[in-house]
Amino acid sequence: MSSNSDSSWHTITMRIPFASQKHATIAKQVIEVDKELQPEVVKRVITVEDNLLVATFTTLTVRLARLTSNAFLENIDLVVRTIGEFGQDAERSQS
Amino acid sequence: MPGRVRKRSPLKTPDRPYIALGLEGSANKLGAGIIRHAPDGSTSILSNVRHTYITPPGEGFQPRDTAQHHRDWAISVINDAVRTAGISLHDIDCICYTKGPGMGAPLVSVALVARTLSLLYNKPLIGVNHCVGHIEMGRQVTGAQIQLSFGNCLDRFARVINLSNDPSPGYNIEQEAKKGKRLISLPYTTKGMDVSLSGILTSTEAYTFDKRFRADGRAREGDTEDIITPQDLCFSLQETVFAMLVEITERAMAHIGSKEVLIVGGVGCNERLQEMMGVMARERGGNVFATDERFCIDNGIMIAQAGLLSYRMGYETPLTKSTCTQRFRTDEVHVAWRA
Repeated sequence: MSSNSDSSWHTITMRIPFASQKHATIAKQVIEVDKELQPEVVKRVITVEDNLLVATFTTLTVRLARLTSNAFLENIDLVVRTIGEFGQDAERSQS
Repeated sequence: MPGRVRKRSPLKTPDRPYIALGLEGSANKLGAGIIRHAPDGSTSILSNVRHTYITPPGEGFQPRDTAQHHRDWAISVINDAVRTAGISLHDIDCICYTKGPGMGAPLVSVALVARTLSLLYNKPLIGVNHCVGHIEMGRQVTGAQIQLSFGNCLDRFARVINLSNDPSPGYNIEQEAKKGKRLISLPYTTKGMDVSLSGILTSTEAYTFDKRFRADGRAREGDTEDIITPQDLCFSLQETVFAMLVEITERAMAHIGSKEVLIVGGVGCNERLQEMMGVMARERGGNVFATDERFCIDNGIMIAQAGLLSYRMGYETPLTKSTCTQRFRTDEVHVAWRA
């Protein structure tokens, strides 16, 4: 994570490892459906690099940076646990 | 349906068994249910699992805490539903989730799980209107005609007088109301087919500050007969609100020429409401139908049922459109599967 002190905006980058690129991509697709609630003060960019989900948030205030990353991590946690529980069963070839 | 010719249903009988998973979490109940539509036209409920977030007396459920509850329980509730149904998630045709109306954070939590499962298993998503879910469930169980729902008002009053939220505030109001002795006057407002519940809660609450109010329900030394107990207030609130509901239901029945009433939703479990509706319907030579508590209260099955009907009509919710919306009116839904 890094804070950009040059401008008044703050940037946070989070890298979250997944078991595979496929799972990281699923998480990206799931999260991206919901728009940020305040797009004018919170910019979100999510990409996938190999098995890493890379999320970058640029926010107007430090408070927004904290709120946004908390909410993001809570959502990622739920998606990760869901994939953890059902991922293997899903990849089992259909009988 | 008496008095009208039944049109042919646009829904074709299924050519093979269809199975849907339904996920519901618009309020404090998290539910997962699995339903099957068979080629012979029959519907079977393979599982119906629910976990309720119960708050201490005097507290309502806050969106944040409710969402946390759903996040904590989602996986085990879904696993339970799949195990009870004795199927694999590979066997299902679609994943149905509540799109709204309801509280934003809990809705989104459940939608996140639904989307993840949809992508993992490559199954289509179906966004369902919560209220349509209730209605379709009722139709499936009883085969009846129109509906009305509310309940928030009773829940809020339960909080005012510190009733337990276990098993549900509405249930505890109903029990307290049975002990009520006097009917206290409360504002009665119906406008055409709508009821106004806004003033009634305030007025009922105001009685709790009345000199004659006895919070413990017992008369003090020197009291005359003229005291007001929490039980009296529960009784009066219930009687007044239900009278309003019965009145507009009767008006609606007269308009559409129906003789049948279906009561759905959490309040539908209230025996007094069922009784009052019953009297009215019988006077009109009709019937009242109520579903039992497993299907009255929010559940995953009702979402699966309404979702599977849409799916069989060729409707799907693309992933990028699988958002949630806190406000989602029942009449915004295009009910393609009914004639």
